[in-house]
Amino acid sequence: MATPTHRRRSVTRTHERIAQLGWDRDYHEPVPIYDTRYVFPDSAKDPMKQIMREYLPMQLEKDDRLYGGFDAALRADMPTKADERWLEVMKPLILILVFAEGAAGRCMSVVMDVVPNEELLNGYHVQFVDEVRHIGLQMGLARWYTKNTPDPAGWHNGQEFMSNNLITRAGVNMFSHAFTGDPIAAGITMMSVIETAFTNIAFVALPDVGARNGDFIQATTYSSVQSDEARHISNGYATMLTMLQRDENVPLIENDLQQAWWSVHAWVDPFVGAIMEYFSTDRSDEESYLNKWDRWIRDDWYRSYVEQLGKLGVDIPPTLFDRARERLVDGLVHKTAPLAFAMWPLNFWRFDPLTEKDFEWLEKTTPGWYDEYGATWEAYAALADPAEGALLLAGLLEGAPPMCWSCMLACVIDHDMCHRVCEDRHGVERTRFYCSPECRWIDESNPGRYTGDRNYFDRHHGKALSELIIESKLIRSDGKTLVGQPHLKQEGMWTIDHIRACDFTVTSPNIVSAEAMGLPSGSWHDPSDLHGAVQADGNGFKPIRVDHDDRVANPLTSMAAAAAGGKNWVAL
Amino acid sequence: MARQERGGGRRERREELPERQFQWVVPKGRKATVYEDITLDTQPSVHRFLHNGYFVSYPDGRGTWDDDSTALDVLGWHAFRDPAELWERPYYQQGAQCEREIEAATQGARADGLLAGIDPSWIEFLRRDGQIPAFLEHGIWSITTRRSRAALSDVLTHAIVLYAAMKQRQAQALVIEGMDLDADFGDITIEAAKDRWRTEPAWQPTRALIERLGTITDWGELLVVTGLIVEPLLGGAVRRELLMRGALAAGDPITPVVARNAQREGRWWQDLTTAFGRFVLTDAAHGDANRELLHVWREDWEPEALAALDALEPIFAGGGVDFTTARDRVRTDQEAVLAEAGLVDAPAGATA
Ligand SMILES: [Fe+2]
Ligand SMILES: [Fe+2]
Ligand SMILES: [Zn+2]
Repeated sequence: MATPTHRRRSVTRTHERIAQLGWDRDYHEPVPIYDTRYVFPDSAKDPMKQIMREYLPMQLEKDDRLYGGFDAALRADMPTKADERWLEVMKPLILILVFAEGAAGRCMSVVMDVVPNEELLNGYHVQFVDEVRHIGLQMGLARWYTKNTPDPAGWHNGQEFMSNNLITRAGVNMFSHAFTGDPIAAGITMMSVIETAFTNIAFVALPDVGARNGDFIQATTYSSVQSDEARHISNGYATMLTMLQRDENVPLIENDLQQAWWSVHAWVDPFVGAIMEYFSTDRSDEESYLNKWDRWIRDDWYRSYVEQLGKLGVDIPPTLFDRARERLVDGLVHKTAPLAFAMWPLNFWRFDPLTEKDFEWLEKTTPGWYDEYGATWEAYAALADPAEGALLLAGLLEGAPPMCWSCMLACVIDHDMCHRVCEDRHGVERTRFYCSPECRWIDESNPGRYTGDRNYFDRHHGKALSELIIESKLIRSDGKTLVGQPHLKQEGMWTIDHIRACDFTVTSPNIVSAEAMGLPSGSWHDPSDLHGAVQADGNGFKPIRVDHDDRVANPLTSMAAAAAGGKNWVAL
Repeated sequence: MARQERGGGRRERREELPERQFQWVVPKGRKATVYEDITLDTQPSVHRFLHNGYFVSYPDGRGTWDDDSTALDVLGWHAFRDPAELWERPYYQQGAQCEREIEAATQGARADGLLAGIDPSWIEFLRRDGQIPAFLEHGIWSITTRRSRAALSDVLTHAIVLYAAMKQRQAQALVIEGMDLDADFGDITIEAAKDRWRTEPAWQPTRALIERLGTITDWGELLVVTGLIVEPLLGGAVRRELLMRGALAAGDPITPVVARNAQREGRWWQDLTTAFGRFVLTDAAHGDANRELLHVWREDWEPEALAALDALEPIFAGGGVDFTTARDRVRTDQEAVLAEAGLVDAPAGATA
């Protein structure tokens, strides 16, 4: 008689049983350590089901394939075949994405601390395990590049560089929104915006550019990462549907989704846009960043996700979405790039001058590009040789726009730039600049959120560039050659002596701009503070005074108003 | 950068260039391990590299991370290492291995007709209490996974996340075992188990204890209470003494495999938490204050854990396991764990 030895267990039935593991507490209620403004319905929507017996071997198999791929890539001599310009930008990209993975994981923990609905918890938890996996995968990739690619300088102190570089520290700021503050707002930032909208750009479109530049190991790694994202997107959607069951949550979702969208756009678009459009030597791809954005963000996210939320009662005006796109059309990427690249002595990666082929591609994909930006890039090329003895930064920093308080990148769109005057904790007036009214709105409506010594240049105002480079440890192990270089050649590299010879003093565009505009100090650096920050609107400090209207006379009240449903959008 | 010098006149190997190493990694041994390279400082902090402070804070003034998230204090949390250096790949290898072994034991038992040989009174026991430990594991999971984010280093956060994942795997393995046995023996449901978990007097002190774990707001306390008290006493009693020994005596070929795999994972957590105990107790600046705090936590939790254990006597009797012997064993084990953590002197005659 044949005994059935392996009866197939139905995933649904197994999951039904596992879902019974939660129980109503009778002796002690859980104590959360984070606060949320949201309220929770009695029953939740189910995300994708996860059972460890299926999950563990599935992930192991993916890992085995990927780590095998690392060895195969070595045997295929990929490190020397891949385009070097592309390999350089992996230094900031991978390290900030590792921070993003950590943010995504930690987001799950804060969400779990406040969400009482057992149905959702297992999915969140499995996502945290996935994110630990993603950190391992991407640090493994970083390690692989460090050991094998032609010029590893920059990787060697990558975590410290990443935390302090002008561009990547703004990424630390942005991704920190995803696990700090109201857990549900954090969850919306991570799951509904970063994962649902932008992982397609970062983990699908970007690796495609990598593959075109001969780097297939990056593409392999990120497609392995992306294979987990469907689950995370499903967590985000289940969370959204669950929260929507309570009317009280609707205005909060409207507020938090729009703010999250803006904060993520403000950093990801210029950063990833610049990588795609400037760091690709291969110019076979006809699509600009905006083309890709229209496909992945507008069509796949905005139209098929955000607009659909309208049917569920979430009223999100298209304004902020249109505004973000408008900023891209206005040159957000191309206007951010020159200062970012002119900062090369302070970067932990190299970038070579644009070639004729690059010029052609940029002009073709962004008509009018040459007229507007060509001269800057010609100057970049002309000054790449240290024998010229001049720095592009010297020319650019003087007239540079200030840095935005909220998104921490430069206020490059002139007609969007705005400011307000706030009092610090000592009652001293100081000026905060913003790249856009949206960034100002976000700062105003989230008292206590933005802290730290935020304006990159304030702390270094009046400092010799050479000193700043040394302080930032951006010197190679020979004790003199800079980590960052304006070209990819092994000869003619800039040393600290070349920088000294240029005798350039760093100034803060925020301080300079405030002065020029006759405003109170633009500096938010306080050398006596442990972390160099002027303490301002943290809880218990004086409410902020707004310089032109009274919309946010008292941020705490207005946050309460927003929570109660009062719309607090920026009038544009 | 001293490693440049190593090797004397030998031609410098490519990997030995300082630029080919993560210089921020402070290896515990001579050379950084893969685990250290891929884990350390992936969670930056104001103590490690965020020189400008935290950029995003809570409205109540807490930063992105908060040094007061635990009452413990040390000179630097980043110096702590998981002795087993667990990272994602070995975690998936080991976890998948656990599930494979359980699956093979289940299929093998059926193929070889071993299920028929199980002592019928043990089947009755499994029907009654076999799945209840899943609630215990799941309860630990539910607080652990919530406290992972606050921990003050990448090593600690990852360890807490993986511990939670193990608890979830263990809980689910018990439920799946119940589901499989239900197919063979009938009348083994999760609903009945849950009902009993919620009402059976012998289980109530355990349930109250697990629910109380959910009130822990300090991640350091959670490590200490789970690792040095709850796991060695209750976890050890239920998994090893009750399920494993009871099943072995009753000719049950599946349960010991489920329990053994959980125990194997449990040893990782035990080693990690005892290392954590030594780490905080030997801290040059805060060791004494930490010791006081650990004693407070122990006094706060151990009597309740012991009382919960004592209340399980009828459950053990129902499984045909001698409770007094089991209790003595886990009590001795726990004393060894506390000694290993440096909290008490090693018990006389102990070899650990
Ligand atoms: Fe991820
Ligand atoms: Fe994710
Ligand atoms: Zn901004």
